[in-house]
Amino acid sequence: MRRSATPDRRTPPAAGIALVAFLATAAAPALALAQSVPIPDYAQPAFIDSRLAVWIAAQLHLDFAAFVLAVPMFALAIEFFGWRMARRDPAGAARYDWLAHEMARLLPAAYSLTAISGALLGMLLFSAYPRLMAYMTETFGPTFAIYPLFFVAETLCLYFWYYAWDRLQGRRKWAHILLGLLLNIFGTIVMFIANAWATFMMTPGGVDEAGALVSLYGAIWNPGWMPLNVHRLIANITFGALLCAAYAAYRFLSARTEAERALYDWMGYTGNLIALFTMLFLPFAGYYFGFELFAYSATYGVTLMGGVLSWLFIIQAIVIAILFIGAAYYAWLGLLRIPGSEPQRRLVPAFNVALIAGFMVWATPHSMAASIEESTGQFHPLLGALGLMAPKMIAVTLILVVLYVSYLLYRRAGKVPVVAWAATGTRIEWALIALMAATILGLGIYGYFAPADVRIKTSIWQILVLIGGIVVTFVIDLYLLRGARTQAAVRWGTMPRRGQYILILLAFVIVWLMGLMGYARSGARLNWHVFGLVEDTSPGAGLPPLGDAAIVVTAITLIFFALLGVAFAISALGGRAGLPAFGDRAGEAAA
Amino acid sequence: MNAGSGKTNHRWLPLPVGAALIVIAAFVALKAVRPVIPHSVILLYMGFIVLGTVIHITLEDTRIRRFWNFFLSHPGEGGWPKLQRLAVLALLPAAAGWWAYDSVRPTYAPPVEIFQRHPTVGEATLARIVVPPWAAAPANWRDSDIAAGKTLYTANCVVCHGERLDGAGPAAAGFRYPIRPANFRDAGTIGQLTLPYVYWRLTVGGIQNQFNSAMPRWVAAPGDANASSLHSNDLTPDEAWQVILFLYRETGYTPRAE
Ligand code: HEC
Repeated sequence: MRRSATPDRRTPPAAGIALVAFLATAAAPALALAQSVPIPDYAQPAFIDSRLAVWIAAQLHLDFAAFVLAVPMFALAIEFFGWRMARRDPAGAARYDWLAHEMARLLPAAYSLTAISGALLGMLLFSAYPRLMAYMTETFGPTFAIYPLFFVAETLCLYFWYYAWDRLQGRRKWAHILLGLLLNIFGTIVMFIANAWATFMMTPGGVDEAGALVSLYGAIWNPGWMPLNVHRLIANITFGALLCAAYAAYRFLSARTEAERALYDWMGYTGNLIALFTMLFLPFAGYYFGFELFAYSATYGVTLMGGVLSWLFIIQAIVIAILFIGAAYYAWLGLLRIPGSEPQRRLVPAFNVALIAGFMVWATPHSMAASIEESTGQFHPLLGALGLMAPKMIAVTLILVVLYVSYLLYRRAGKVPVVAWAATGTRIEWALIALMAATILGLGIYGYFAPADVRIKTSIWQILVLIGGIVVTFVIDLYLLRGARTQAAVRWGTMPRRGQYILILLAFVIVWLMGLMGYARSGARLNWHVFGLVEDTSPGAGLPPLGDAAIVVTAITLIFFALLGVAFAISALGGRAGLPAFGDRAGEAAA
Repeated sequence: MNAGSGKTNHRWLPLPVGAALIVIAAFVALKAVRPVIPHSVILLYMGFIVLGTVIHITLEDTRIRRFWNFFLSHPGEGGWPKLQRLAVLALLPAAAGWWAYDSVRPTYAPPVEIFQRHPTVGEATLARIVVPPWAAAPANWRDSDIAAGKTLYTANCVVCHGERLDGAGPAAAGFRYPIRPANFRDAGTIGQLTLPYVYWRLTVGGIQNQFNSAMPRWVAAPGDANASSLHSNDLTPDEAWQVILFLYRETGYTPRAE
């Protein structure tokens, strides 16, 4: 494929400046220590409350970092697919390559913003919390030195990967893929290092009672480290994919040609699919993280689930429900693009009911006190029952079954299987899915009445049954649809506009959710900078009420989108790219 | 309107009427459950139900068309469709009006309190609480301590927490706001807590700034100068541990590991 003659090959100067600033801040603590002047505990460098300033900077940095970490992961995967299929299907390969590049489009500008917000965060932290940061530097010294190196390596890879895209085509594509791979490796390392600092503050390890460093390895690999690594890795991909989908939705809505609309429809679909797929694992990654926190200190268990933050988790449950329902709704609307999908569409209302019912259980609070007029003073028996772990596990796993079956239907839509055993095979598939759902339900009910240790085992079995069932039925489905006749090609670009607005909504929701959970993760430490070791003795060291937190989180979300909009405007300056052809529309698309 | 949508309009139940009926039915059903489901939870459930309804209607373009068509008058339609239309149209302002009225009408209720089941306590506070060796491991609990705990429980706690430890003692109904005495058989109470935490609950009771309930304070916190002026502090620390062991043994729960 050939992109236009004016590829955007300018390196935004902001990135360079930010990088220098970043390195300077990283060096600052070393200087401070070297001078060994008495360090004050707190200072107020910004005009606003330091806590608030750090909060905003940290969350913005995290949002951008999540984006620039995640997008290269799936963009590279897509690029790789395209590369592998180049011989078989050059048109398809060109399309994949376009998609990967299009997803990476916001990266350079977003990367500068990551660096700038990171530098800002570093400066604020070191100047507003000197005692804490001195302690962190003492503990993590070597990592503070390594971090910028990987950061620079990531930067170089990113800019080369993005700007050398067109040059490294054809026979040199492998070099480009390699560059992308390096970018991802460096990016992941950068995140893992930063995660070590963040989790050390929650679940310190590798230090003695007084907080003096015993083993740097133990401090890095503290109890919370791996769970957070896993959780963030997956969540970042969901996050990046939804933002790409929202970008595609915007381009779809403002598209002038059908070819453009078709491509961006496809891009939005892909983004949503990636998001939905990764979202399936998130609840479990979240439980894993929570589990380690509870194991580290019972205080976390009490704070997060029964105490000050318990309300937050009800909100989280609702917001997650909106994400899942929105993504599923978009997927169901996608059936409209497929001529001949009527049989599949008839089943969707039932899925809708199942999904809504499942999420009602999932979001049910266990202990919600009623107002005095309605109150019997007791927690409601129904809510008490539904609000427990076992019913929620049933709900979550069955929701995943529904989503998976929706996906199977999407695969089937508009296709006529040609294998002889198609009818029997379909029946077996349905029977297996029914069996899977019944087993999950049965296990859950059994677990509900069983003691806690058995209950944990049954919930693990539920997940195993789910995974096993998915694998088996999917293999059957693969063979069943082998060589299936296509009644009509997917009509990309015919997705209703409401579907695009949903994608934009989902992007907003996930950024907001990230902000909310950022507050929860930091807030869970309560009055500690480093849990149990460095106490927060600054004035106003309490948790802001949830309402205030929600306002700040919303403000951060809006700032994030405003900045992303700027990044978007910058990337749009980079010349028009030629569009690849889409199937039978080759003629129109060549324009 | 084209022939197709015209025909669908003559279905037995027009789409908007069906949607309205589902939402109303769900609301009435939730309101009818006894004991009463808290208002905020009903709101939550209704949000989901309305969302599901909107999704259902907007899944297909034809359904959206049917939905809007219902609100247009068609030449030659009878009085029945017209009546349904008016009814659905009247519903929205009526609901909005009720909502407005409901939120401004005077009530005697204090604001809804989000009761924290397990108020947060600092790690340092818990670390100061030392579990005596004889109480630490459930396997080593002595029957004599459990028996002593039972006596203490019957004397001090039954009035509120009930003979069967289910939170239904004779005095329980008197303490319904913000929360009744705890039902120890519920999986959400002592089964979730560590021994020091439960002990802490006994030593602070419910009457303090952090949270409010009728739960008295049973043991003086060490060095608490005005302890006795606030509460009776009937139990010695050992007695408190005995009651706690009894709570666990009687309900079959084990304390959460620290
Ligand atoms: C005046 C009534 C009353 C009496 C008497 C009483 N309690 Fe309570 N108790 C309550 C109320 C109300 C709650 C629930 C509110 C709360 O958790 O603070 C409660 C909660 C508790 C809890 C916390 C449970 C949880 O899940 O956090 C424990 C433990 C407890 N009581 C133990 C006892 C013991 C042991 C006694 C006897 C020594 C006792 N209570 C006597 C009213 C009472």
